[in-house]
Amino acid sequence: MTKLLIFGLMLSLIISTSLIKTSTRDLDEQIYSIQENLLFLEDRFKDSKLEFDYLSSSEKLLEYQKLYFENALIKKTLSDLKILKVTDNGITTDELKIIGNK
Amino acid sequence: MNNQNRFVIYENDDQFDFDQNDKKINIKFNRIAFIFFIFFVISIIYSIHLIHLGSRGFNSENSDQNKIYNKLKRADIVDRNGNFLAKTVSSIDIGINPVEIIDQKKLLLNLGIIFPNKDYQLIKSKFDNNKFFWFEKKISDANYEKLMLLGDKSIKPEEKLTRVYPQKNLFSHIIGQIDDDNNGISGLEKSLDEKLKKNKDIIQLTLDKNIQFLIREELLKYNQIFDTKGSAAILMDVNNGEIISLVSVPDFDPNLRENITDVNYINRATKGVYEFGSVFKTFTMAAAFNEKIFEPESEFINLPKSITCAGFPISEYNKDIPSNLTLEQILVRSGNIGSVRIGQKIGEEKFRSFLQKIGITGSINFDIEEVGVPIKFNWGKCPLATASFGHGITTTLLQVVKAYSIITNGGYDVNPTLIKNDEVVEKKRILDDNVTKKILPILRKIVSTKDGTAKLANVDGYEIGGKTGTANKIIDGTYSNKKVNTFVSIFPTSKPKFVLAVMLDESQNNENYIYEYRDGSNFKLKGSPRNTAGWTTVEVAGHIIDKIGPILATKYNEIN
Repeated sequence: MTKLLIFGLMLSLIISTSLIKTSTRDLDEQIYSIQENLLFLEDRFKDSKLEFDYLSSSEKLLEYQKLYFENALIKKTLSDLKILKVTDNGITTDELKIIGNK
Repeated sequence: MNNQNRFVIYENDDQFDFDQNDKKINIKFNRIAFIFFIFFVISIIYSIHLIHLGSRGFNSENSDQNKIYNKLKRADIVDRNGNFLAKTVSSIDIGINPVEIIDQKKLLLNLGIIFPNKDYQLIKSKFDNNKFFWFEKKISDANYEKLMLLGDKSIKPEEKLTRVYPQKNLFSHIIGQIDDDNNGISGLEKSLDEKLKKNKDIIQLTLDKNIQFLIREELLKYNQIFDTKGSAAILMDVNNGEIISLVSVPDFDPNLRENITDVNYINRATKGVYEFGSVFKTFTMAAAFNEKIFEPESEFINLPKSITCAGFPISEYNKDIPSNLTLEQILVRSGNIGSVRIGQKIGEEKFRSFLQKIGITGSINFDIEEVGVPIKFNWGKCPLATASFGHGITTTLLQVVKAYSIITNGGYDVNPTLIKNDEVVEKKRILDDNVTKKILPILRKIVSTKDGTAKLANVDGYEIGGKTGTANKIIDGTYSNKKVNTFVSIFPTSKPKFVLAVMLDESQNNENYIYEYRDGSNFKLKGSPRNTAGWTTVEVAGHIIDKIGPILATKYNEIN
């Protein structure tokens, strides 16, 4: 009986070891592949962001303004800007003041 | 007896057999136990490996790609909103080794489809030379994929890393440049060289790309209007020292990797050391309040229009200035003699110590190495008198900005910084709290009243306060008639948040420029009446605040 138990234990250990080994190898492969994908995607994201930054830069926006919206875009002063407050009683506007900390 | 003995022997024989079997079982058990132990150890090793794989973080440095380019890689630099200011990008160059070409005609045909604009007669002659050559540099990902699909082993791709500065000139004096060996040679590229190479994390700065652009645009515009040699501006948060914009023009495009030797390309905001003139009168006044010698209402009676010190005359710039003036009026009307009297009352030791405390004298510790050191000032009776109204004493624009921040933020020490740090730093008060309370209303009057010298910067809604300074430049050891015009503004004066300093180097009068008064009268004036800060730098600062103000009010304020 003891022998049987020992052999059973041995067999289970062999199986679990091989299972763990296989799953470790699979996980390793998966991690490597995810890492590589992440690196690639990260690079793609940064390159796209670089393009976006360039195309949406102030310099470019002013170029677009001159090309397409010369008369449509006008400079706003501080008094033109309001704080919109939505309350139960309706919508109110407050003067925007350049105070406070952030 | 014999039989009995025989029986015992048999009995013992059984016992012997049993002992032998027992030993065999023990040996087998030990072997099994050993095997069991080996398997146990192996399973433990794999379990540990599994746990390690599951728990380890993502480490990009382990990848082969990064190992290859580790030497050339530098961390990216972004502004406070995450916009790239400096970035390392990879590009692929394609070379061809003609010796390894399988089918020359087929390759030429395929290359012609992918790159139709190339001179294939020339390329064919290069093929015939049988020497390796670069076919195309910095190709797109799409063309790279097409080339690889050709499967010709003579095509040799080589990935290269390049440092690009997408904002071009905008941050040239701050970011600086690198050399061909990936070593920083100026600006943050130099001062943070090790960090940028070792640490691959993005470095975030306190600067705002859009505000930097708007300020630079205005400086460039007014450099032409007032025909200046150059100009500089710094916008800083008075409470934490974060620099939102730092511009010095002329500037350069770091992408061109030019060797800048012209001294006119000096960073005027941090490296240039100048006399700033009447801007120093605020320090004299603040020192008097800090030492509790005078109050803003304290009055000087019968001030002369001119005095002499060691044979040199000191006179009022404005001859119409009254003889009886309070401290407030002295600063508002920028009185020289009144400032001298205040300085004399403070005394050399105390005034010297005050200037040291607010960071005007001595060198400043800053994030870039291009920082000027004020010329050593030889204190004495007359130097004290001249320093009181900003004559003879030098410093950098950055140090002026720091000093104005300390004076107007409640007396707390601040260190100007370009690098974003979200850690809360404990504030250290170095000036009496009353200094700010007393000085701010006076600075506001300089901008808001008709007697003030900075009326053109009274932009509605921002509660701007500030002080002008016009100084003659020293050229070859003597004072010339060339001017350094400065205006340091603080806003809003009810609760200071920003300091904006603008400096024009060698500005000239413009006879055709039209000034629009900001007092509600709609009055317009053609031509600069005088080449002073009040008619040049103040006008520039007003227009800068006009442009950047709405951004500051919406993006940099808490709206309740």
